[in-house]
Amino acid sequence: MNRIIILTPLIILLIICIFSLTYLLSGKDPNKPPSALLNEDVPNFESSSLYNAKEIIKTIDIKNKKTLINFFASWCSPCKIEHPLFFEIQKKYPELYLLGFNHKDPTLDAKKYLENDGNPYDFVGVDSDGLIALEFGVFGLPETYIINEDGVIIYKYMGPITKDILKNEIEPLL
Amino acid sequence: MSSLVGFLSLVFSICINFYILLSIYIFKSKKQRFNFFIRLSSILTLLSFFSLMYAYITSDFSNYNVFQNSHSDKPIIYKISGTWGNHEGSMLLWLSILSIFSFFFSFTKNIEDNFKKLTLIIQAFLHILFGLFIVFTSNPFLVNSILVNEGLGLNPILQDPGLAIHPPILYAGYVGYSIVFSIAIAGLFQNTDDEWLYVAKKWSLISWTFLTGGIALGSYWAYYELGWGGWWFWDPVENISLMPWIAGLALVHSLMMVRGEQAIKKWIVFLSILCFSLSVFGTFLVRSGILTSVHSFAADASRGIFILLIFFIITGFGFLVFLLKEPKKSNTLNLLFINKVSALVINNILMIIATLTILLGTIYPIIIEVLYNKRISVGGPYFNSTVIPIMIPGFLLMSIAPILSWQTNKINNSKKYVLSFIILSILVLIQSYFLDFNTWGFVGLLLGFWIILASIIAIFSSYKVILGIKYFKIINPHIAHIGVGIAIIGITSSSIFQNELDFNLSEGDVFKVNGKTVLFEEVETTNQINFQALRGKFLFDIEKKQSKKIEAGKNYYPVSKMITSEAGILHQWNKDIYFILGDQKNNEWFVKVLINPFVSFIWLGVIIMMYSGLIAVTKR
Repeated sequence: MNRIIILTPLIILLIICIFSLTYLLSGKDPNKPPSALLNEDVPNFESSSLYNAKEIIKTIDIKNKKTLINFFASWCSPCKIEHPLFFEIQKKYPELYLLGFNHKDPTLDAKKYLENDGNPYDFVGVDSDGLIALEFGVFGLPETYIINEDGVIIYKYMGPITKDILKNEIEPLL
Repeated sequence: MSSLVGFLSLVFSICINFYILLSIYIFKSKKQRFNFFIRLSSILTLLSFFSLMYAYITSDFSNYNVFQNSHSDKPIIYKISGTWGNHEGSMLLWLSILSIFSFFFSFTKNIEDNFKKLTLIIQAFLHILFGLFIVFTSNPFLVNSILVNEGLGLNPILQDPGLAIHPPILYAGYVGYSIVFSIAIAGLFQNTDDEWLYVAKKWSLISWTFLTGGIALGSYWAYYELGWGGWWFWDPVENISLMPWIAGLALVHSLMMVRGEQAIKKWIVFLSILCFSLSVFGTFLVRSGILTSVHSFAADASRGIFILLIFFIITGFGFLVFLLKEPKKSNTLNLLFINKVSALVINNILMIIATLTILLGTIYPIIIEVLYNKRISVGGPYFNSTVIPIMIPGFLLMSIAPILSWQTNKINNSKKYVLSFIILSILVLIQSYFLDFNTWGFVGLLLGFWIILASIIAIFSSYKVILGIKYFKIINPHIAHIGVGIAIIGITSSSIFQNELDFNLSEGDVFKVNGKTVLFEEVETTNQINFQALRGKFLFDIEKKQSKKIEAGKNYYPVSKMITSEAGILHQWNKDIYFILGDQKNNEWFVKVLINPFVSFIWLGVIIMMYSGLIAVTKR
C-alpha cells in the first residue's frame, strides 16, 4: 500500500508527459483551434438575399448539392485577395453551389464591393448580426467551408485561400 | 562582439558544470577548488546574460534576438527589460538565476561539506540541462544574416514598469526551488543528520517570498493594464504559478514542523521535489506554446519536446530517488485530536488537494484535445467552485494553529476565542444584512476578520510585549496570518461587491459615480516616444476644491501595430475607482466605471506576507 502511494507521483508524471508529448507531436497549433464542426452536419441557418430581402435560403436548400460556403465582408482586405479565385472555381466546377455569407457589413458597402470586384456567388446571404458565423464557429474572415451532398462539412479553411490550397486541398474534394 | 562573448561564456559555463558533475567520479577535487568552479560557472553565466543585455542597450541589431525584439526608439528601461521579454532571453535569465542561487549556496557554512558538494553537483546537473536547452533550441546569440538599422520592437503589452521586473522576481521564486530540490535529493542520498532541513527551510522561504512577489506583481499588472477591472483570471499561466506557490506554502509549514516532530521528513522531501517539478512544468507549459497567453512568445514543437524531456528527467529522477531511497523511518506521528502537528498535517493535505485540483483544471484541456480533438477551456467557474471550498477549512484552522501546543490537546484561553468568534459572526452577519447579503461574501469576510482577530488575541495573550527585533521574530507567524486575513477581506470584497456603471458620454458631460460628481473633460491624443496615447480626462468630485484628475485611455504602438488599454485608477484606502475608456460612437464615448472595494487590502496583505517571509528567513 505504502509502495503504491509513493509510486503515484511517478504514474501521474508519466500520464502528463504522455499526453503532452502526444499533443506536441500531433503538430497542433494552439493558435488554430480544431473545428468542432468538421465531419458534422452543417448547422441550421436561415438568411435572406443581399439583393432581395424576400428571397430566403435555408439549410434544406443546399441538401443534395455540393456547396462551398464562403464568409466575406467588404471591410475585409484578405477577402479581396482570395476573391478572384472563386471565379476560377465557378468556371471549372459549374455544378458546385457557391454560397457567400456577407458578414457584419452595411448592405450598401457589400453591394458596392460585389459590383466592383464581381459576384462569383450563386447566392449571397446576409449575416448582418454574425449569428450564422457563430453557428459555423467562424474565427475570423475569410473562412471557407465545403459541404458534401449529405449536408456534412468535409472541409474548412481559415484565412484567404491561395492557388496552392485550391489545387492541393480544395479541388480533390470537388 | 558582445554576442560572441555571451555565447562563449555560456558554452564555457556549461563545460565547467560538466567538469563539476564528473568530479565525483574522476577527479577528487578539493573543497576550495570545487567552490571556485561553481562560482566561476555562475560568473560566466552572468557574463553571458549581461552581454545579451549590453546588446539590447546598445541596440546591436546584428544580434538576431535584439533585432526581433527591440527598437532603437524604446526607452532605456524597456531596452533592458527587453532582454528577458522574449523566449530566448527569458531562458537565459532562468539559467542566470539558477547560477546566482548556486553561487550564494556555495557560501553556506553550517552544513556538512560532502552534503553541500552533492547539492551543488545536482545544481550543476540542472545547469547543464537548461544550458543545453538554450544552446540547442533557444540561442539568444544568433547572428542576424541581413544588415539592418532598425529592430522589430518589443511586445507593447510588456512595456510597463511593473512587468519589467515581474519576470526576474517570479523566476527567482521558480528557480529558487531548484536549491530546495537539490538539498532534498542530497538529503535522500546521504541520510545524515537533520541539519539540512534548516538550510532547506531558509531557501524555501526565500523562494516562496520571491514567488509571492512575482505573482502579486503580475496580478497587479493585469489589474491596471488589461483593463478588465479584475486582478485574477484563473488564466493557465496564473494557475501554473499558483501551484508551486501553494505547494511551497505547504513545504514552508512542514519545515516549521520539524521542530516538533521528526516523522515529517519524508513528506518534506516529497514537497521539495514537487515544488521544483511544478516550476519546471510551468516553464514547459508556457515555453512550449501549448498554452496561449500574453506569455507565450512563439510556439515551436522542438523546444516543447526538449523542455518536456527536461521536465521528465528532473521530476522522474527526483521521485525515483524518493522511491528507492526512502528516508529512514523515525517515530510515528503523534496525531491528537487537535494539536499543532495535526493542524499542520490537515492544512498540508488541503493545500496538496488544492494544488492537484488546479493541476487537473490546467491540463484537462490538453487531455481532452488529445483524446477528442475538441478545444475546451477551463475557467473561473471551475476553479472558484472547487479550489475555494477546499481552502476554507484550511483558513479556519489557520486562525488558531499558531497557538496550538506541539504536544498536548489543550488550547490556552479557548473561551476567549469561542466568545470572540460568536460576537464577530453576529457583527459580520448584521453588516452583511444591511449591505446586500451574499453567502460567499459573508463567509469570506467572516474568515478574513476572524483570522485577523484570532491572531491579534494570540499575540497579546501568549507573549509578553517587548520592543525589539526578537519580539517580531516570535510573533512572526501571527503577522503572516494577519496578512492572509487582510488579503482575504480584499479578495472577497473586490470580487463579490464590485459595482459596475456604464455611461455614454460626450466631452464636457457631468455624471455621478458613488454620489460624487465627475466631469468628463476631454479626449486628447498625444505622441510619445514610441507610441501614440489617447487619453480621456476626468475630474473626480468637482464640487470639492481639490478634485482629482483621472486619465483613462489607450496606447497605440505603430511598430507592432498593437493597441493596449490603460485604465485610470483612483486609489482610495477603501476602494479603487476604475475608469475604462471604450469606443467612440456618434461623438459619444463609452465609459465604464468599476468600483472595487478594498482592492488595496490584497496588495497590503501580500506585502505583509512577504515581510513575514523575510523575517522568517532570519529566524532559526
